[in-house]
Amino acid sequence: MNRAVDLALLGGAAVALSGLMVGPILATDPKRIPLQHQPRRPESGLPVRRARQQEAATVRAARGLNRAAGTLAASVLADSSIEHYRGSFKNRAMVTPLIVSAMTLATSIHGTSDMRPSAHKARDITYLLAAATGLLGTGFHFYNVGKRVGGFSWQNLFYGAPLGAPMAILLSGLLGFCSERLRESRAASRPEIFHLPAGRTIAAVAGAGLLGTSGEAGLLHFRGAYHNPFMAVPVTLPPIGAVLLMRAAAGKAGREHAFSRVWMRLLALVGLAGVAFHAYGVSRNMGGWRNWSQNVLNGPPIPAPPSFAGLALAGLAALGLMKEHPHA
Amino acid sequence: MSDDALHSPRARHGRAPDVFRPGGWVPMREYDNDEAVDFAIIGTGAGGGTLACKLAEYGFSVVAFDAGPYFRPLEDFASDESEQTKLYWTDDRIVDGANPLQLGSNNSGKAVGGSTVHFAMVSLRFRPEWFKARSLLGYGADWPLDWRQMWDYYTEVEQALKISGPVSYPWGPPRPRYPYRAHPLNAAALALAKGCEAMGIKWTETPLATLSAPRGLAHPCVYRGFCVTGCSTNAKQSALVTWIPRALAAGAEIRDLAMVGRLEVEKSGLASGVHYQRENAWHFQRARNVVVAGYAIETPRLLLNSATDRFPDGLANSSGLVGKNLMAQSNQAVWGVMEDEIRSYKGPPSLAITEHWNYEDKGKDFFGGYAYMSQGPLPQLWANTLTGARGLWGARLVEQMKDYNHVVGLKIVGEMLPQESNRVTLADETDQYGLRIPRVTYAWCDNDKRLIDHSLKFMSRALGAVGARDIWTQDDDTCHLNGTARMGVDPDTSVVNADCRSWDIANLWICDGSVFPTVGGANPSLTIQAIACRTADRIRVLARRGELEASARLVARPQLSREVSHAAKASG
Ligand SMILES: Cc1cc2nc3c(=O)[nH]c(=O)nc-3n(C[C@H](O)[C@H](O)[C@H](O)COP(=O)(O)OP(=O)(O)OC[C@H]3O[C@@H](n4cnc5c(N)ncnc54)[C@H](O)[C@@H]3O)c2cc1C
Ligand code: SF4
Repeated sequence: MNRAVDLALLGGAAVALSGLMVGPILATDPKRIPLQHQPRRPESGLPVRRARQQEAATVRAARGLNRAAGTLAASVLADSSIEHYRGSFKNRAMVTPLIVSAMTLATSIHGTSDMRPSAHKARDITYLLAAATGLLGTGFHFYNVGKRVGGFSWQNLFYGAPLGAPMAILLSGLLGFCSERLRESRAASRPEIFHLPAGRTIAAVAGAGLLGTSGEAGLLHFRGAYHNPFMAVPVTLPPIGAVLLMRAAAGKAGREHAFSRVWMRLLALVGLAGVAFHAYGVSRNMGGWRNWSQNVLNGPPIPAPPSFAGLALAGLAALGLMKEHPHA
Repeated sequence: MSDDALHSPRARHGRAPDVFRPGGWVPMREYDNDEAVDFAIIGTGAGGGTLACKLAEYGFSVVAFDAGPYFRPLEDFASDESEQTKLYWTDDRIVDGANPLQLGSNNSGKAVGGSTVHFAMVSLRFRPEWFKARSLLGYGADWPLDWRQMWDYYTEVEQALKISGPVSYPWGPPRPRYPYRAHPLNAAALALAKGCEAMGIKWTETPLATLSAPRGLAHPCVYRGFCVTGCSTNAKQSALVTWIPRALAAGAEIRDLAMVGRLEVEKSGLASGVHYQRENAWHFQRARNVVVAGYAIETPRLLLNSATDRFPDGLANSSGLVGKNLMAQSNQAVWGVMEDEIRSYKGPPSLAITEHWNYEDKGKDFFGGYAYMSQGPLPQLWANTLTGARGLWGARLVEQMKDYNHVVGLKIVGEMLPQESNRVTLADETDQYGLRIPRVTYAWCDNDKRLIDHSLKFMSRALGAVGARDIWTQDDDTCHLNGTARMGVDPDTSVVNADCRSWDIANLWICDGSVFPTVGGANPSLTIQAIACRTADRIRVLARRGELEASARLVARPQLSREVSHAAKASG
């Protein structure tokens, strides 16, 4: 194996992973940071102040979504790098998710640090591109599985192209797109996405994403025969999170959703802990980490679990928005 | 060298090799030769290893002997076909008959763990009707076992070995889900699958005794395909890394490099222990019960070699059937060359299987059945096949070897019928231990030939259907030896009863592939292990009822046994 390629890949994975770590760190105490940047004008009257607060909340939620989209993109970048390298980039199209997720990651970092309450063309385009890539990738993966001997059999679901994986970049694109729509919404009016209440829409998208990701983990952990009891975590906790988000999406205005927010934080932690568990899983292969160049490819995908963190961050952003904009 | 597994015993001084940790040891209980142990077991393979584990877990005192070395797979197994011939039983034997068997690599092992150390891991259940082959299918002999009970014991073994298998199995009555998922298919397996689809029959991923996910300290399979020369990752769930460590933990002693030459029978007619050679000296281990589990050749050889004045034809042989009804399984193949690279050596050799002709009785002009599987011969074996079976040599051989990466093959495991004339007897020559060596006589009957013929024609069409060229058939190969001490319901027509207890000597048991009355068209190891589990359960029941022979004060220490089996359940 070419050592230089290995190192480049490892470097890429490391960058992506550190990107992942930054997300949650930024996420700590999301309420405070943006408000500090608000110029305080003591003479402003109450309604104006409320409008400002709401606008700040919208941008805050938008940035939360950038962070979520970025976490997902980083996960996809690292995961598809490893998996498609393993597949020897047999088909040229296999580099697409690498390029697109790298762009999405960069875009999301840009968005996370952007306080302006307006959409950004380049970001919009990148996110749409990401969503399109996710859709196309899903199509490719379905095609790949379908054409194998036995079609959509367990064997091919386990070992063919993972059907659910490209959904992560689709979700990243969708969440990023939602983020831009949030920034566009005018103060005092209800933030909307395609005329739907923004907070509830995002909650529903994140909830569906959690369910899908959980399904993917369920399939692959079934392949691993749930040999470690912790393998049950990503198929039990996230679906509960999905239900909580769906409930919030369908619920009345003015609820606090305190428990759901705690649950989202828990899911973000689960996503990060998954990295550690998968690293341990790698160590259980022949040769352990000494034989990393083989076992990182063979063992459980280290960069996959943070997609749960990405979706949990999106859930948090949605719940935060609904707190400030009860009707959003 | 003191740590040479082949020349000096490793299991002694209160410890045995820890197969999971390089250089590691696990504590081992030891028994004095003069201390009459509850069970002396000869052989630690599929039958003996399993039984040693179960009996020790039930609280019996157990010493299990093996003539072979105690290997540490992580350290001792090289990725080298020649080096690994150290796993085979290659002591002198004489073969004759119309179809002399080729003994060695493909049918017998000599190591702690027995032949399972280098077996191909295919772990199949028998078709239920085979247990009543005579009454239901009209050939061979009935087993004294009920398939429904066997179904439960199969489940126990599948769990113990964490068999990786398909999510649902296409043939036979329902079975519980395999504990681990099937492995990914290699190109050779895909060729089998496509061939089956072209022929309109079902196929599936082969249930294999190799891990598709980690298990304790054992690593999952790395798909390098050295399985039949010994697995160096411990992914293979041989007796050496499954039953034996459990047996040690439950207090059994394993004696490696200990060749049992003769069983001792007292005047009372009961067995009293075993004579064995270890470190160039003969010793005698006293035992209340003796279990022979040396595989279908060594088991009858030992019984015959232990003849006394009272039992001049050998032990347990009042029926005259010890050594008779030896059954190999037919192992013919069809080979071809594909345009695309196949690299069939990647991964376990038989990743895909069809049992169609085991379960379908229409369209057959023979009794019995066969399964066929994808193949993955390593290069040296492949060169041997080309020289031996195809008669190639020199430039033609070199030319064919260039196609190695494109070769694809299908091979059967076929049922051969029991015939008394196929048998193990004693030759006059002696081996390195001074023991008379076995003479193995074998001939195929017409039914065997018809089955082989059917399979070769069918597989040739299947290979043709996937576009293989230069298709040729390997007409003469056999594997898996069984029979020679069949179980039954009648002392006149069988050597042991359903509990593997000899009819003639109440404290002499036979627990390995020898007890099979018929072989079916499925690899035997899962059935051997299932029978061993059943035998252990029966022994426990008999002991509790005081029905193990009266003179043996054998009572399973009830308290210990409960504790141990609890612990085993908890850890299993
Ligand atoms: C290459 C190969 C591939 C195989 N593949 C499969 C497969 O895929 N699936 C399957 O089901 N089966 C397979 N088998 C068959 C399977 O391994 C055997 O059927 C099974 O191990 C037999 O179990 P056993 O207990 O009868 O004997 P063994 O497992 O052979 O154990 C017998 C042990 O007894 C010891 N012994 C014998 N005589 C004495 C003595 N006098 N004193 C001390 N020790 C003695 C031997 O050293 C040996 O270790 C394969 C076998 C081989 C060789
Ligand atoms: S292919 Fe798997 S089972 Fe076979 S030797 Fe290699 S690791 Fe062991």
